[in-house]
Amino acid sequence: MAAQENSKYIDLPQGTVDLLILRTLVLGPQHGWGISERVQQTSSDLLRIQQGSLYPALHRLERRGWIKAHWGTSDNNRRAKYYELTKAGHRQLEVETDSWNKLAAAMAQVLGTA
Amino acid sequence: MLSDILFRIRSLFRRNKAEADLDDELRFHREQELDKYGKSGIADAEALRRVRLNFGGVEQVKEECREAWGIHLLETLLQDFRYGFRVLRKSPGFTAVALLTLTLGIGANTAIFSVLYGILLRPLSYKDTAHLVVLNETTPRVGTVSVSYPNFVDWRAQNSSFSEMAAMCYVGFSLSGINQPENVAGLAVSTNFLSMLGMHPLLGRDFDASEGKAGAAAVTLLSYALWQSHFGGDPNIIGRSIALDGRSFSIIGVLPAEFRWTEKTDLLEPIGVWLTNNSGSNERGERGDLTVLGRLAPGASFPQVRAEMEAIAARLANAYPSANSQFGVVLQSLRDVFVRGLRPAVIVLFTAVSFVLLIACANVANLFLMRSAGRTKEIALRVAVGAGRGRVITQMLAESLILTSLGGIAGSALAVVVNCGLVSLIPHDMLAGANVAVNGPALLFTAGVVALCSFVFGLVPALHSAKADVQTELKDGGRTASAGSSQSRWRGALACAEISLALVLLVGAGLMMKSLVRLLSVDAGIRTEHVLTMRIDLPQSQFDKDPARLSFWERVVSRVRELPGVQGAALGTGVTLTNEHGRTDITIEGMILPKPGSFPHPDVHIVSPGYVNALGVRLLRGREFTDMDKKDGARVAMINSLVTKKFFGDRDPIGGRFMFGQPSAKSEPKWFTVVGVVGDTKMYGLANPARLEVYVPFRQFVPDSMTLVVKSAVEPAVLTSEIRAAVASINKDLPVYNISTMDQYVRDSVSTNRITFIVLGCFSGLALLLAAIGVYGVLSYSVAQRSQEIGIRMALGAQSADVLRMVLGQGAKIAAAGIIAGVVAALFLTRLMTKLLFAVSTADPATFAGVALALLFAALLASYIPARRALAVDPLKTLRCQ
Repeated sequence: MAAQENSKYIDLPQGTVDLLILRTLVLGPQHGWGISERVQQTSSDLLRIQQGSLYPALHRLERRGWIKAHWGTSDNNRRAKYYELTKAGHRQLEVETDSWNKLAAAMAQVLGTA
Repeated sequence: MLSDILFRIRSLFRRNKAEADLDDELRFHREQELDKYGKSGIADAEALRRVRLNFGGVEQVKEECREAWGIHLLETLLQDFRYGFRVLRKSPGFTAVALLTLTLGIGANTAIFSVLYGILLRPLSYKDTAHLVVLNETTPRVGTVSVSYPNFVDWRAQNSSFSEMAAMCYVGFSLSGINQPENVAGLAVSTNFLSMLGMHPLLGRDFDASEGKAGAAAVTLLSYALWQSHFGGDPNIIGRSIALDGRSFSIIGVLPAEFRWTEKTDLLEPIGVWLTNNSGSNERGERGDLTVLGRLAPGASFPQVRAEMEAIAARLANAYPSANSQFGVVLQSLRDVFVRGLRPAVIVLFTAVSFVLLIACANVANLFLMRSAGRTKEIALRVAVGAGRGRVITQMLAESLILTSLGGIAGSALAVVVNCGLVSLIPHDMLAGANVAVNGPALLFTAGVVALCSFVFGLVPALHSAKADVQTELKDGGRTASAGSSQSRWRGALACAEISLALVLLVGAGLMMKSLVRLLSVDAGIRTEHVLTMRIDLPQSQFDKDPARLSFWERVVSRVRELPGVQGAALGTGVTLTNEHGRTDITIEGMILPKPGSFPHPDVHIVSPGYVNALGVRLLRGREFTDMDKKDGARVAMINSLVTKKFFGDRDPIGGRFMFGQPSAKSEPKWFTVVGVVGDTKMYGLANPARLEVYVPFRQFVPDSMTLVVKSAVEPAVLTSEIRAAVASINKDLPVYNISTMDQYVRDSVSTNRITFIVLGCFSGLALLLAAIGVYGVLSYSVAQRSQEIGIRMALGAQSADVLRMVLGQGAKIAAAGIIAGVVAALFLTRLMTKLLFAVSTADPATFAGVALALLFAALLASYIPARRALAVDPLKTLRCQ
């Protein structure tokens, strides 16, 4: 049943979770659930980050210093952990976006000619 | 990178908080999901199910988050350490033996390193010490000698290799007017001396240039120690005066505490004051007690400087042949002058102590190997339930690190004790104020040793057990889990290495012992028992005429002779072994005149009647001096047998004549007639050859500084205060100093050899013990492992003798291999000791053979106990157990 439900989503390739998180956080501080919701919305329900990989990724990014966390209150008055981009995170986002675009273009080119 | 580490550490220490936060964060996520499902009208139970499904394993997510925190590594390490502690506590016997071995090894190393550091490595507190060079003159007849002042002046003027040069001359002073009169060590220096060292007086001013010329006013800079001990550190000391040799010197400053020189130095005076008071200072042939300090010019290399100085010396020898012919220049780095002859001893001891540490490490590694053999099952189990090889290795390393760290701590404590013992062995003046205490650098060294050791003996067993094959280990009944052949090879090799290291140490100690025995049996040419010596100087200001001096000396001798317990008393200069000497050229009547620098250059003793008897010099022919050998009487002399042999050959020397100095057309020669021949004495220590010696009576050459030699029936030291009182009753302002028995001088003259022998002896004893324990350990383990095999053999009819032979044979094989390797290593390494040995070859066959036999014996003894155990094996029992 889980497999059926998941089948409408695209499998996320390795390493794209970080990029998606960083990109989402450009819009402002957000908590983990918010990030996953926003990715789902903005990708028209095509992309969905598994919670199992979302949180480890968040903690890893925090350790690397690309995002920082603080506790705040959510819209429905719950205590939530908010993440925001650091300066290093902004730089990292540029780097990763750039290399993703190159990859995507290259992939498209190869697939187009084949 | 730094923030990364900080993050990890923060996570580690705020572990509870981090866990709670993680729980909160994930709960928030689930609640949001629930809310979302709730809003879209899905029933609570179904919503909860979906949330769980989506989320996956909560614990797994948490674990992955924790891993993302990066505390894994640190946590595992902590776990390993905790586990290591538990394991070590559980086998107290093993831990105690390993710890004791390490403590001894590390303690000895730290103690010796602190001495090595203090003497050889510790930076001197002067500006750019590496460029400071001490210069002396040298002549083939004597070796290194002091520099004459006119030569120094020419060196300074003519050289281009040194940016600066300064003269330094030791002068003893009688300091009176404060407490008991005492002798203080002064150093007369060129006025640029302090600035050349990059030092400034703590108080007051440095010497100024005008004080470098003859006629300078008497001023002085006090050492920090003298300022403290005699003036209580009075800050208003500048401008006060101090009575030296009865003259008033004005104190212009105090030296900083870190000023120390190659010999004890209580105060400085400007060279100008010395020039004023020293008539001999402008004679080119007068080489008193002056040495020269130079600072190398930038870019000047040692060989180049040496060449230039040799050239200058050659020019001076041409210009002044009578004073300088055959005199060259020797250069030594200031560091070497501070170190003196201690370098070879320190290096040998440090090598020896590293060997002790290696043996200790080998022993502990062996213990670890044996234990890891017993633990193969435990480790196989851990590997089976998922521990990686890396994890097993870290675990073993953690155990060895705990052990060595504890050993390091205990060893440092031990080092402090050993260090005190060592320092008490070294004669005080040999250290020249060097700080050899266990200090920061020594402890740093210990930390390095600890890290290295734990790696050395931790890694071998660690790699070994990590290699273990899970399948076989677990399948194997466990009880018989034998430690494969590679393990026993390792252990055999380690025991073998221990034996060879111990052999090198024992050979070293053996050579030192033999050399010390040979040295102490050298005939010094004097009697050393019950002889007390002390020195008295007469200041020029009070005793400027011969009769005054003579009358003082005569009264001293007669007063001291009257003291109860005194069997004989006499005065002399340049007394054998006391480090005082006076040498001059002589011309023997009728000899073919040699070149100016090749005249006979004997040590001259100016002595009172009774000297030969008091010091126990042997009178071989003729007579000793008597009270009749007066100033106006016939000039007489005694010579030693070396002079006789060299210059009189078969002729009877009695009645022969010589004169001091070289003949000159200007003056009538003053001949001295030989009236007696005495035996040679070892003027410069037991290890040095006898030299030419001549003796003249003190009434014909009245000296202003003499050594009183007292022969007593009782232990001579008890006479000291009475002799002091006797001298004070004649003149209360004169210090009596350098009080020492002849026995003490003999001991001091062999002190380096003795210290090296004692320390090396202790180390090699320790090494022998550790090596024997090593062999014992290997064999007992192997006997325990092979008890079934032995049982079967016995059941099949092997006799006790066969079993005994088998075990002892294994021990002998290890010992033999170790001895062969050790002999080869020792043949190379004992060369380090060449300078420490006296009349013993570094490859002395008797020593090598004796040590090899002793080691073989020790190894067999160590194998005997396990062999007995093997004999006790009951074939029935072992077979039934199977």
